[in-house]
Amino acid sequence: MKLTLYVFLLIVLLVSCDKGSGNDSPAPGSGIGGSTARFTISGNTLYTVSNTALQSYDISASSNPKTGSNIPLGFGVETIFPYRTNLFIGTQTGMYIYDIKQPNSPKRVSLYSHMQSCDPVVAQGNYAYVTLRSGTTCRNVLANSLEVIDISNLANPTLVRSYPMKNPHGLGADSTLLFIGEGDYGLRVMDISDPANIREIQYFDSTKAYDVIPAQKRLIVTGPDGIYQYSYANLKQLTLLSKLPVQP
Amino acid sequence: MLLYHYPVKHISPMNRHLLSFTLLAVCVLLDGCFRPSAPPPPTTGDIYRPVYATSADVRNVQTLAPQPLRNIGKIYAKDNYLFVNEVGSGIHIVDNRNPESPVKLAFISIPGNHELSIKDSTLYADNILDLVALNIADPRNVRLVKRIENAFERSAYPLATNVRFECPDPAQGIVIRWEKASIENPQCYR
Repeated sequence: MKLTLYVFLLIVLLVSCDKGSGNDSPAPGSGIGGSTARFTISGNTLYTVSNTALQSYDISASSNPKTGSNIPLGFGVETIFPYRTNLFIGTQTGMYIYDIKQPNSPKRVSLYSHMQSCDPVVAQGNYAYVTLRSGTTCRNVLANSLEVIDISNLANPTLVRSYPMKNPHGLGADSTLLFIGEGDYGLRVMDISDPANIREIQYFDSTKAYDVIPAQKRLIVTGPDGIYQYSYANLKQLTLLSKLPVQP
Repeated sequence: MLLYHYPVKHISPMNRHLLSFTLLAVCVLLDGCFRPSAPPPPTTGDIYRPVYATSADVRNVQTLAPQPLRNIGKIYAKDNYLFVNEVGSGIHIVDNRNPESPVKLAFISIPGNHELSIKDSTLYADNILDLVALNIADPRNVRLVKRIENAFERSAYPLATNVRFECPDPAQGIVIRWEKASIENPQCYR
């Protein structure tokens, strides 16, 4: 009897874990964007970020978007990523977490500050992954890194560890894998089973990569040379499926 | 080093206040040095000029035959399709039912476009200053279903920092993008 109960509990736990992971579509009927997106959809709301503000649109009737609230965010807003009932907003000075349980009135939960740089953010499980990049449109020329942030307490995000990178742009997480576009330096595949001790699995130095979308064991990569698609059905080794080339 | 050698233990309360004040003043002064409030114009680096278009040209969204990928930006995956932004000019629609051999179906020409997101069969995109909602049920015949005018801020300067540029002139139309150019003595900078 006790054993049955334990098995049942274990199944419940495993199922709930599965729900927490993955990069599945955040809203029924919507698709998946890359980490550098400034538009995103959660439920029946379209959110857009400008350089300085978060704008919402009610899209309950998808063909008739209605302008909703506008929230000033300060300066240097770069990316927006929906996760559960929150928005993670990457700016040149830090990561904002907004609560969108009331979709038309996002509430600020916290701000995680870091040095000025370009920085998309994605989240999975109890962790957020932020890349900091130096570059021409950014101010800081020193930081090139991946920061892993514990978000189990959304009101108080804390740095777990910072990993040096070459020139990271977009990133995407699915289950135990994290994919990082290193711009002209290539594509990095990391094992994030232990966020405090991330390990590199593969590094494709000739796949120039700006952003990635991992979903259903397929990775879509964009870069200056074209669009690559890989299978990661084998978690240890990516297989190139195709490349749509850019015409010079 | 200086502080390390300072005989802190033996200073009088009066001097201690003076020391605190001096330290504070030095901090404020140093801080000011690292963040000048008005930086001088850069003397090197890229120079940009605005590219203008009329309001009618800008608000013309149309479906074209597949186009070559040239300068690709944001991507979006939905069902068996891939949507690929061509920076500043529109969206490639790609049939991705077979990821080993994706096929370009059409190109939606959207002036000034950088961003997109999709719900059901409606694609939302930026069209310079406007938000447009497009029906993509038939990828080869994408139709505009709603336009929200002036949803976005005007691009008053190039995205890059530490550059000089020709100041935009509203009388010449809407700035749709910035291009590198060789201009004598441009008056604006950031």
